[in-house]
Amino acid sequence: MADFVEADNAEAIIARIETKSRKIESLLKQYKHVEALKTALEGSPPKTRDERCKSANWIVVHRAIMAIKDIDGLLNALDAEYYDILMKYLYRGLSTGDRPTCDQCLKIHEKLTERAGLGCILRCLTDTVNTV
Amino acid sequence: MAVVDVHRFAESITCHAWSPDYSMVALCPNNNEVHIYKSSQDQWERLHVLQKHDQIVSGIDWSSKSNKIVTVSHDRNSYVWSLEGGEWVPTLVILRLNRAALCVQWGPKENKFAVGSGAKTVCICYYEQENNWWVSKLIRKRHESSVTSVAWHPNNILLATTSTDGKCRVFSTFIKGVDTKDSKAGSPVETKFGEQIIQLDLSYSWAFGVKWSPSGNTLAYVGHSSMIYFVDDVGPSPLAQSVAFRDLPLRDVLFISEKMVIGVGYDSNPMVFAADDTGIWSFVRYIGEKKAASSGSSYSSQFSEAFGKFYGSQSKSATANDASESRGGVHDNCINSIVSLSKAGSPKVMRFSTSGLDGKIAIWDLENMQEELGHQF
Repeated sequence: MADFVEADNAEAIIARIETKSRKIESLLKQYKHVEALKTALEGSPPKTRDERCKSANWIVVHRAIMAIKDIDGLLNALDAEYYDILMKYLYRGLSTGDRPTCDQCLKIHEKLTERAGLGCILRCLTDTVNTV
Repeated sequence: MAVVDVHRFAESITCHAWSPDYSMVALCPNNNEVHIYKSSQDQWERLHVLQKHDQIVSGIDWSSKSNKIVTVSHDRNSYVWSLEGGEWVPTLVILRLNRAALCVQWGPKENKFAVGSGAKTVCICYYEQENNWWVSKLIRKRHESSVTSVAWHPNNILLATTSTDGKCRVFSTFIKGVDTKDSKAGSPVETKFGEQIIQLDLSYSWAFGVKWSPSGNTLAYVGHSSMIYFVDDVGPSPLAQSVAFRDLPLRDVLFISEKMVIGVGYDSNPMVFAADDTGIWSFVRYIGEKKAASSGSSYSSQFSEAFGKFYGSQSKSATANDASESRGGVHDNCINSIVSLSKAGSPKVMRFSTSGLDGKIAIWDLENMQEELGHQF
């Protein structure tokens, strides 16, 4: 099972996240918001229990989410397999309580629910194994 | 619409089962009784009230060949009822449970029945002729939480169970003296009682509603995370598929043909899933006419209000108005169970019934829907 990923690969995962964040910064500078978010969501560490990995990835995803202006365009370009992961990060964003983050997350949440349906929300709530 | 008959029997129905000729239905109106209704000339008449349990009756099954009703309840007991001289006479079955019984099913040969319980055990009960009573054998191992649903394979030996620990397991329930060893080569059935054949770890949330396909080749069960799981070639190397769908979770499923499944649940509208020619399962449609689910108008008025509050000033008023009333399908509330109205073991199910928390039982007929459902049916 993937609990073995813990101590050994935590460092490797964090290193990977750093490279990812540099890539995302450059994408954002080029106004390629959708690409940036996709890169951020890709390879989200699924089965690690390590909080540092999750926080590191959250920071990267947060950066990409806040930079989004055109939500409809984003959801049109995003593949359906990313909906569930994006929803999980939206809820993490909503839980921060930080006003600008929550505003942005709420806007995206409304559109994403229209697209992905209530099932998407259900999958976030019930999945206690792959948390972000 | 494929609905033939809808009738509201009570405030809420926990479970129901049909008589062998499908003229009578036994249901539990969310209390400790079982009511038996007979349909005559478009009216439903209550014939019997079976009162023996102390708490809610959580499962009812009516055997088609031996005409016996088995009921299980949260009071940890089970009764087998036989019709003697126009009255239903109960026989207590000592299940040896210390928690509620949650579900029950007669085996295909009707010499055994399986009970899933909150005590993390499954009871297999069979009739002992010498002592003239029902004996219960427990499968104590493996389950880490309540067993929510049980389903018998057509060979009367394999039993599939789902549990709130998210896993679906298949056990052998071979009992010496009751089952005969099948000496056919190519049916490798474990001959030890309680032996686990496979464990399916597909779901992260509670699992419900497991059923076998008519041939016994495929298993389907649902998870509470709005997912439905299909497993082909159940055995040492199964082919598992997880299908995620848009809406609220399902509670129960029914195979209407080898390649088509109907799921019912919190959306109050049965959903059709089918496997295409390459064997990939996916959601096909809702069984009744339903508006295109693309915009927010597919949510009921309750949701619209809630979303309105959630999104505050940002919400669009469009979501509120048109939605709601159109949701009126047949059921107004969660559908709890779906029961086939075709002879057990037939490859296609043409009629089935659904019952739910709104107290209604609806009978659906697929006779005219052959074309709409496609060639998998």
